[in-house]
Amino acid sequence: MSAWLESAIDRAESIQDWLSPRRQQSLQLLRERQWPSRKVEDWKYTSVKAIEAATGQLQEVEIPSELPTSIAGLECIDVSLQNPSAINDLPHGVTISPINDSCEAWASELFGSIKPVRHIFGLVNDVLATEGVVIDIAPGAVIEQPIRLIRALSQQQEHHARVLVRIGEGAKATIIEQFSGDALSLHTTVAEYALDARAELVHYRFGLQRARAIALAGSHFRLGTGANLQSTIVGLGSDLSRVNVDVDHRGEHANAKLNVIYLLQGSELFDLHSTIEHAVPNCTTEENVRGIVADKSRAVFNGRIHIHRDAQKTLAELNNRNLLLSNTAEVDTKPELEIYADDVRCAHGATVAELDKKALYYMQSRGVSVQQAKIMLNFGFINELVEQMPHGELAEWLQPQLRELFVDMVSDELNK
Amino acid sequence: MLSIKNLQAKVEDKQILKGINLEIKPGEVHAIMGPNGAGKSTLGYVLSGREGYEVNGGAVTLDGKDLLDLETEERAREGLFLAFQYPVEIPGVSNMEFMKAAVDAQRLSRGEEAISSPDFLKMAKAACAQVNLPLSFLKRGVNEGFSGGEKKRNEIMQMLLLQPKICVLDETDSGLDIDALKVVADGVNSQRSEDRAFIVVTHYQRLLDFIKPDYVHVLADGKIARSGDASLALELEEQGYAWLAERKEEQAQLEAKESS
Repeated sequence: MSAWLESAIDRAESIQDWLSPRRQQSLQLLRERQWPSRKVEDWKYTSVKAIEAATGQLQEVEIPSELPTSIAGLECIDVSLQNPSAINDLPHGVTISPINDSCEAWASELFGSIKPVRHIFGLVNDVLATEGVVIDIAPGAVIEQPIRLIRALSQQQEHHARVLVRIGEGAKATIIEQFSGDALSLHTTVAEYALDARAELVHYRFGLQRARAIALAGSHFRLGTGANLQSTIVGLGSDLSRVNVDVDHRGEHANAKLNVIYLLQGSELFDLHSTIEHAVPNCTTEENVRGIVADKSRAVFNGRIHIHRDAQKTLAELNNRNLLLSNTAEVDTKPELEIYADDVRCAHGATVAELDKKALYYMQSRGVSVQQAKIMLNFGFINELVEQMPHGELAEWLQPQLRELFVDMVSDELNK
Repeated sequence: MLSIKNLQAKVEDKQILKGINLEIKPGEVHAIMGPNGAGKSTLGYVLSGREGYEVNGGAVTLDGKDLLDLETEERAREGLFLAFQYPVEIPGVSNMEFMKAAVDAQRLSRGEEAISSPDFLKMAKAACAQVNLPLSFLKRGVNEGFSGGEKKRNEIMQMLLLQPKICVLDETDSGLDIDALKVVADGVNSQRSEDRAFIVVTHYQRLLDFIKPDYVHVLADGKIARSGDASLALELEEQGYAWLAERKEEQAQLEAKESS
């Protein structure tokens, strides 16, 4: 076991709060759990050495950090995941409370009920997360204003936050998870979303932390009958960035659409493990994962769609496309379809390619420089997913940031 | 304007161009015809500087400037335009964005400011109308899902926007029905002017009914085998290219005799 995990368990043992009964089981599991190594399939391509290297340098302290700026044209309900305070003046039908103030029975029941126990850092979050928020969207409520959950980590900070969301029957909401910070730090964030019948959630996860920031996170969804989830996940990678996404189709006629974008350079790593469970008939999943990897960066994708025996008439598509900008960059991709029903339509695939030389030449032949042509091709590769984001304001906010990133990626490559 | 002297080029280890000489003056239209594999497309690629096409002899100047010394994009900014036989599809990059980048690159290289978006849109709309492409094509990915004819018209649209000095049209007529051919030819003819020249590479005489050349050259086995005026194209249409092979044979026999 790692020294860091031992200290985490020690710290967890002294936590006493309304969620303690829920935390106990996870604590027990964690004590028995093997520390991740390359020998375990789940961590075959992702090393957790960065955590070991940071052990002793991290502290769970409150450091006020600069919050990200607002998004032009999109007024959000901003909620900090660090030491959140009660939020008033919310639109009718929304309740947001700091997790340490809430003692709602439903929230306690939700805690750990969607996130599978196989995620070791999910268990860590179970036992250590005393901060975060509980969000309740009343049945039928249509909340136009996005709720933005923000966390910017500072130097040497360790932080664990939990988000518990219930979206009532027929309700509609938009929730943005936004992370930033480049300094040596470690956070685990687990968000669990329960969508009741016909509920609709537009979800964004912007993992914009870079460099030394260690991020171990998960967004986990349970979809009731006829529920709709549209999720966009953006990851820029860091020494260690791992995201677990789980979607559990629990009621019939539910739809999930997941778009994932990762853009990596330097020695950054981004690891996405997604599992979609189709346990009931007539549901759909469409998952598009697209990434660009430069320099010595590495992308790890493991996407599993599991169609149970009763899940007839399932429509499921899973696609991972990668663009490699250098021959030292690496992509480890493993799309998996596991089908036990006999009347389903499913497709999966993965590609890893380089920039199209013919396209580059064509663009140059019109006077466009190699550098600009590369930026445009990179941008073109992922922009389709950016433009599919239901909030155009977010696309407009993200696009210049991505362009800047591509300028970096391409000029670094040209300078070699 | 464009002066090609003893141009030799190879692809991998195969010598394709074996000494091409062409003098092209402003306002002229030169047709280059010839059988498959003669090096017609290679000429266009070599002029534009495509990777893998290695020049191993000769010189090319555009208005006195050494063209072969420039990068592909610099040649374009100097006023060279190659209309591709097989235009490339670029999903994700819109036609509009692509052409604005191209026009801006050209303007910046001349020390001018980038064009404003509304001004560019106006230009692009006019160019679209001229080649009969719906405006929606500006928003679509470059050549993405375009039919063969639409791709060729899109090439001409780009030419209209870039206003090059010298245009090389590489088999722009291939795969076009007669209506599309007329649209393409009208686009080209509208651009004929005192200070612009064209090299029209084609396999068939048909295109030359619509774009009247001043000179016709026959390219065979990497060299200009014959040059003449527009009537040469008609002659070729009647006779085909078989005479080239015969001539080559005669020449070989002649050489064999001489050496024996």
